[in-house]
Amino acid sequence: MPAKGVQVPNGTDIRIEGVRLALGDDPPVPVLGGVDLQVPAGTVTAIVGPSGCGKSTLLDVVAGLAAPDAGTITGAGSVALMPQRDALMPWLTLRANIALGAELAGASRDDAGRRAEEAIARLGLTGFADHYPHALSGGMRQRAALARTLLAARPAWLLDEPFGALDALTRTGMHDVLRDLMAEVRPTVLLVTHDIAEAVALADRVLVAGPRPMAIIADIDAGPGTDDAQAADAVMTALRTAGALA
Amino acid sequence: MSTAGHGQPVSATAPGGSTMPRRRLRRLLPVLILPLLAIAAWQVAIWVAAPREWMLPSPAAVAEAGWDARERLWFHAQWTLLISVIALLITAAAGAALAYVIARSRMSRLAIYPWVIVSQVIPLVALAPLLVLWLPSFAAILVLAVLMSIFPVIVAGVDGLGGTHRDLIRAARGLGASDGWAWRHVRVPAALPRLFTGLRMAAVFVVSGAVVGELVASDRGLGALTRLSAGQFETPLTFAAVVLLALIGLGLFGVVALAERLALPWTRRSTRPRSRS
Repeated sequence: MPAKGVQVPNGTDIRIEGVRLALGDDPPVPVLGGVDLQVPAGTVTAIVGPSGCGKSTLLDVVAGLAAPDAGTITGAGSVALMPQRDALMPWLTLRANIALGAELAGASRDDAGRRAEEAIARLGLTGFADHYPHALSGGMRQRAALARTLLAARPAWLLDEPFGALDALTRTGMHDVLRDLMAEVRPTVLLVTHDIAEAVALADRVLVAGPRPMAIIADIDAGPGTDDAQAADAVMTALRTAGALA
Repeated sequence: MSTAGHGQPVSATAPGGSTMPRRRLRRLLPVLILPLLAIAAWQVAIWVAAPREWMLPSPAAVAEAGWDARERLWFHAQWTLLISVIALLITAAAGAALAYVIARSRMSRLAIYPWVIVSQVIPLVALAPLLVLWLPSFAAILVLAVLMSIFPVIVAGVDGLGGTHRDLIRAARGLGASDGWAWRHVRVPAALPRLFTGLRMAAVFVVSGAVVGELVASDRGLGALTRLSAGQFETPLTFAAVVLLALIGLGLFGVVALAERLALPWTRRSTRPRSRS
């Protein structure tokens, strides 16, 4: 069951078909070269690919922050995006940062504050509600960003290299936190990461993206019952085939 | 403040456990070194060259003239201070508003920003006689002070609004915020530290603007007093007025810095806000 007071709608499918996008004017640079993928409701799909291949741009398109030149997206509008690093507002306290998710979902300020307190307790941040982000460790800020995403009460989450800035130990701890949260809330998750081990550990499926303009070149099963090492090997083989690994 | 770690916030502690007054004194001493050296060199120059007092008075003569004319100085200082404060408030409001308008759209940036820059290329001192022709004295000085101080506020504001970290905008928009909401609640607060940098510069320039205006268009104010006293070879009084002007500039700078400290608690080194939110 979700944490008390946190109500998240049931997961929703995300379906991306033939999405193309070029950025810039002089001349336009193709970034997304016809992306097709589907994230079934309540599952976690990771995208792994070389740096700069267009993974973050794809998330922007799914979140509605950029309009594709072609293609269709189903499930857009029901997503909450968590960008790289924590992206907490430096001028807001931890409580206010977390409450922002609920406020943007339409909750009153009081209600948002109450939900933020519950999320703070749920994610082990009790005692730090009045601290500003700069005074917290990377792991705490990341937990707060997750709490903010949770309070947005969207059925689908887009996580853009959420733990890329953390050290290995903190990242492993955050994987546990995210896994617990996903087990409770069952959101549909599209996770972008450059860390193959992270993708295999957290996702049910790992999609391998080719170099820019981005297209999905491999779809690897990494769900329960599969061997993580074999899945990681398959991801690396696909990346090597795409010329993304030496 | 660095905050690397795995769970505990980093707290700001006084290095070496120094008490507050001693720490303040330690910070104040380096500030005083340069003016003390300058006064010493000035006094040595007086002893060596023995110039006439109306050419270069000694520091002691300046202090004595300042004390003797304290009521006159205070009378003029009030006027300069009043104009500077009003001009600074106008500069802050108009500069921030213009920065917002310029940064908000590409069209307004193209239409307004180049002309703001051009306005600074024109020597504003040369505008003073024209302003006196067109406006009452007080208004002319005010306009001059605003024109001389608004540029850094606009530039800092535009840079601040345009330089908001992309991930902060993405975080808000990605949670459903509209573009307008992101401007009001993300870009504007993110721009405040830079805006205050511009305001600190403006606090100094605004005094210069007021003085230029008073030199040309007024019989009141420290600018007018420097003109009158220099014309009557009361050089020690001229120096005293200049010292007072420097103190006013310093004071306004300090007031803006204090306002920044109070308005932007998250930029302080302490880990907790003063009051619970």
